[in-house]
Amino acid sequence: MNKDRYLADYVTLLLVAVVLALVPLGVGDSAHYLRIVTLMLITIAYAVAFNIIFGHTRQLFLCIGALAGSSAYLSVVLAIKTGLSPWATIPLGIVSAALLGGAFSYVSVRRGLGVIFVGIVTLVFSLIFHNLVLGLRELTNGETGIETKGLGAAVLQSGRGSYYVILAFLMACLVLYHLLMRSRAGTAFRAIADDEFAAELAGIDVTFYKVLAASIGSALLGAAGAIYAFYSGFISPTEYALVSVDIVVLVTLLLGGMGTLLGPVLGGVVFTVLDEIVRPLGRLNVLVYGVLMIVLVITFRQGLVAALRKIVKVRIP
Amino acid sequence: MIAILVDGIVQGLQLSLMAVGITLIYGLGGVLNLAHGQFAVVGGIATALFVEAGVNPLAACALGILSAGVFGFVVDRTLLLPAYRSAGEERLLLGLLITLGLSFVVNGFLDYKYPNISLTLKLATPSFNVAGITVRTASVVAAAIAIVAFVLLFAFLKGTLLGKVIRSIIQNEVGAGLCGINPGRIRTLIVTLSAMMAGLGGVVQGLFSSLGTEMGNELTSFALIVAVVGGVRSINGTLAAGVLLGIVNAFASYFVGAYLTLIILLGTAVFTILLRPAGLFAYRT
Repeated sequence: MNKDRYLADYVTLLLVAVVLALVPLGVGDSAHYLRIVTLMLITIAYAVAFNIIFGHTRQLFLCIGALAGSSAYLSVVLAIKTGLSPWATIPLGIVSAALLGGAFSYVSVRRGLGVIFVGIVTLVFSLIFHNLVLGLRELTNGETGIETKGLGAAVLQSGRGSYYVILAFLMACLVLYHLLMRSRAGTAFRAIADDEFAAELAGIDVTFYKVLAASIGSALLGAAGAIYAFYSGFISPTEYALVSVDIVVLVTLLLGGMGTLLGPVLGGVVFTVLDEIVRPLGRLNVLVYGVLMIVLVITFRQGLVAALRKIVKVRIP
Repeated sequence: MIAILVDGIVQGLQLSLMAVGITLIYGLGGVLNLAHGQFAVVGGIATALFVEAGVNPLAACALGILSAGVFGFVVDRTLLLPAYRSAGEERLLLGLLITLGLSFVVNGFLDYKYPNISLTLKLATPSFNVAGITVRTASVVAAAIAIVAFVLLFAFLKGTLLGKVIRSIIQNEVGAGLCGINPGRIRTLIVTLSAMMAGLGGVVQGLFSSLGTEMGNELTSFALIVAVVGGVRSINGTLAAGVLLGIVNAFASYFVGAYLTLIILLGTAVFTILLRPAGLFAYRT
């Protein structure tokens, strides 16, 4: 039985890797579409990270963009000011994001903050981050943004090569997620998601596992944010704003299915397709995201994976 | 110096107008409304559209506020129903996500449909002198409107039976239900009322400076800060916090610049949540 469960996970991981690896062939030579599918990988990576934080331990972090952005800005600004290679500064960004996320989680668990207050605190942090980036002009160049080209992360810059590098990163995230879930921590996460109080009574160190989930998730968010910064060749506060990251990731995760391995991937793919369909509408896309989010929250909270499970009667991880 | 103080108080009152709505909706419905600033924007922009259509400005304001109320009513009767149907953490979470989605819907719609419309109300006499200090007429009018609104609200909550019912639900929903009160209808009333007060806040913003379609999130975050600092279940606290933060905001903007001010305000909110989650002015329970 157990062996069977892991088999389903392996098959899914392999399928995801193969399908996503074939995507650039389908896209052909169009640089525009190659960029879109690469951004899709980043969104999926965000969603995988957020899934660990929200999907498994029910901590509503409304600062996905801010955590990713803090790591991105830290690594880019450090690379510019000190001349260090991005490969040295990206880990610093990741560590800082992990520490930030862990700190939020620790403080809120210790103070016994409910989901609403975690939401407010992290939302306020998003606003603080946004304003700091706008305000610290000498470092961040404010609204104008910073060019990240030519800082020494050539592998990440646009092109088919970077797609595969980022895909490798995404697969690493998914494998990490799989390993996490089959470990002791995964069991603890499931218990906490079901009933926190009961989990505590059963002897699970709820504080530790919540902080662990938040730190790992935030580290992945930081990594994805920094990779995006060097990939896109340019960063500005808008790229990490609530509208551009948080809502997209929330919709992606809700669409795919929270607490599942395949959910973020499926959600990311479907969302990217939808986004392409509504692109001609221009500025109306924010409205579409909002409608999608409300509809998903109200009627489709289990997500695509749960729906698929019902239809094909196969246990999808 | 006094001009800054006056400005701060007026702005604080305006923020309280919106924050009280967040407090009431959270207290009664258990939903933290992240689209509250959007209610204000809907009211303000509706007013601007009525003015543009040639309606007398005063009537336009009334119609605008009414539109915000209708919008609030519709949202309560449709979108928020699934949230009300669930209880506890689930309701909080649903309410939060639904209103967050709603805020994006309103932003996206207004930004698309009316990108260039903003509300700026001009009074006949822009300013006058009191004891050698120049006071903007708009400030006085804005303050007067806010104070009247608050007096009416307090009179309603403390003086009428319905007000007593509302306060009883805030204190204990189950207990109120046992006394034969139907929380659902009261909730709708309060959401409508809060939306109208937010609409009024939007109109006041137009009077004070100008209200654009993109200001929803900004207004929501300010109102949220005020509501949090005042205590998300305390109406008196919200009013006090609004005025206090308004004054801090005005002085800090004058001395250290707008961006640091915002960070100071946001920091205050975070520390309030961490140190006194019930709010600075809440009674200890």
